[in-house]
Amino acid sequence: MDKFNPDTELLERLSWLINLRWLALGGVVITIIFSHSVLRLNLPLFSLGLITAILGIYNLLFYLCLPRVTPETTSELYARASRSANWQIAADLIALATLIHFSGGIENPFIFYFIFHMIIASSLLSRRASFRQATFAVTLFFLVAFLEYYGILAHYGLGRFITNDQYQNAIYITGVAVVFTTTLYIAVYLATSITTRLRQRERILEETNELLKEKDRVKSEYVLRVTHDIKEHLAAIQGCLEPVIIGLAGELNPPQFDLIQRATLRTGKLTQFVKALLEITRIKLSQEFRMEYFPIKEAVDNALSFISLKAENKDIKITTHIDPQVDKIRGAKEYIQEVMVNLLANSVKYTPRHGRIELTIIDRGNEILLAVKDTGIGIPKEELSMIFEEFHRADNAKAVERDGTGLGLSLVKQIVEGHNGTVWVESEEGKGSAFFVTLPK
Amino acid sequence: MAKILIIDDDPDIVEAMKVVLKTKDHQVASAASGAEGLKLARLDQPDLIILDVMMEKMDTGFSVARELKKDKNYQNIPILMLTAIKESTGLDFQKEAGDEDWLPVDSYLDKPLKPAELIDKVDSLLSSR
Repeated sequence: MDKFNPDTELLERLSWLINLRWLALGGVVITIIFSHSVLRLNLPLFSLGLITAILGIYNLLFYLCLPRVTPETTSELYARASRSANWQIAADLIALATLIHFSGGIENPFIFYFIFHMIIASSLLSRRASFRQATFAVTLFFLVAFLEYYGILAHYGLGRFITNDQYQNAIYITGVAVVFTTTLYIAVYLATSITTRLRQRERILEETNELLKEKDRVKSEYVLRVTHDIKEHLAAIQGCLEPVIIGLAGELNPPQFDLIQRATLRTGKLTQFVKALLEITRIKLSQEFRMEYFPIKEAVDNALSFISLKAENKDIKITTHIDPQVDKIRGAKEYIQEVMVNLLANSVKYTPRHGRIELTIIDRGNEILLAVKDTGIGIPKEELSMIFEEFHRADNAKAVERDGTGLGLSLVKQIVEGHNGTVWVESEEGKGSAFFVTLPK
Repeated sequence: MAKILIIDDDPDIVEAMKVVLKTKDHQVASAASGAEGLKLARLDQPDLIILDVMMEKMDTGFSVARELKKDKNYQNIPILMLTAIKESTGLDFQKEAGDEDWLPVDSYLDKPLKPAELIDKVDSLLSSR
C-alpha cells in the first residue's frame, strides 16, 4: 500500500536540502571568485574561504548523519528529522550571516538571500518553527549591523561597489532593517499558509483514498454474498436437471431432451461465470496467499492435464520448456496452477486447429519468468491495454467463442499481483499472443 | 438396496438426489437440519449418510460428522460429504480430507452433483463397508 507518509516525505526533503546546499556552495565560490577577479573587490579571501570550507564540512556531516528509514518508531524518526532540519537551517543562517559580515555587512545586497531560508523553513518545518527561524535571522542581521556600527566588529567594505560607507548611516540601517524584517516575516507567513493548505489537501486526499478502498471492500463483500447465493440456486437447478437429462426421471422425447439440454448447458456456463466471480472477489478481499515452495514440474503437469484433451481435440501441439535450474518455486500452489490453466486454456480456445502452444519457464535471477505463447488469433492492438480488466473480452475473441466470462485474465492478474509479480502480454492480431508472468523468488 | 439418509437443507437438491438414488432401488430418507439429521441417524441406523456442509451454520455438516464419529454405535456408518464450500471459503478439501480429526468423513463430492458420480460414490462406499 503506497500510503502517504509524512516521515519519509520529510526525509526526502532533507536530502533535497543537502543537495541544494551543495549548489549554494558552488554559487558562493563562483561569486567570491567573480567579485575578486572581475569586479576586483578587496575581499578577505581567507575568512570567506574558511566559512565556505566549514559550510562544505557541515553539509557533509549532515549528509552522513541523515536519518535513515529504519523499522524504529516513525514518530521518533519524524522528531529526529525535524530536529535535523531545524539545526541545518540555523547553521545556514549563521553561515550566511558570517559570509555577509566579511563581505560588506548590511551593505551587501546578498543579505536578502535570507528569504530563501525562510521559504525552505516554511516547507520543512511547522509554522511556529519557521517564525522562530525568521526571528533568528533578524537577530543575526541586527547583530551584524550593530556590532559593525559600534565598531565592535571590523567592517569589510566592498570598495568601489558601495562607495560611501552605509554601515555608519543610522537612517540607512533602520530602513534596511525594517524592510528586511518585514520581508522575512511576510515570506514565512505566505509560504507557511501555502504549505499548510497543501498539507491539509494532501491529508484530505489520503482520507478520501482510504474511504474509497473501504467502499471497494464493502462492494466486494456484497458481490461475494450475492454470487454465493446465486451459486447455491444454480447448484440446485443443475442438480435437478442432470438426472432428467440422463433419463433417470423417465425417457425424454427428442424436443424435451433438446430443451433440457440447452437449459443444462446454459446453467453450466452460468455456474462457471459465478465461480470465477466468486474466486476473483475472494482474492480481492483477502489479498493474502498461503505461500510455500512447490515443484514447478508438478504444477505444470497438473495444469496441462486440465487442457490436454481440449488441445488434442483441436490437434494443437503443446510444448513445454522448463529451465533445469528452476526446480521449486514460491507461491500458493493452487493459484499458480490456476494462472497456468487460465493462460493455457485461453491459448487453446483462441488458437485455430493444428496450431502450436509453447509454455516456457526460465530463471531470471531474482524472479521466475513464465511465458505462454501461441499461434492463435492474437489480440487487436487497441484492446491490448484492456484485456486484463474484469468482464472485458476482445471483439475477435467474442467472434471465435461466444461464451466466456471475461474474468479469466483478471483473475490471473489478481493472483500474480497478490504474489508481488507482474503480468503482461505481447500480441499481434492474426499471428498469436504471448503472455508473460514473473514471480519473485 | 440400502438405507440412505440425506442431511441437506436444500429441498430441491434432496429431491434430485432421491430421484437418482431411487433408480438404484435405495431406500432414501431425508433431514433438513443438522439436529434432525442426528436424530434420524440414531433412529434409523442408515447404511450411508449423505451430509451437506453448510446448513444452519457454515460448518453444521462438520459438527454433525464429528458427533456421529464419536459414537461407537454410529461411527461405522460411512459419510459422504457434499461440499460447495471450496469457492466460497478457499478451503482445499482434497488436501485435508485424509485428516480424520479435522474432517471425519469417508468421501466427499462437489456441488453441483453429477448423477453418475453420486451413484459411483454411493456404490463404492456401500461395498467397502
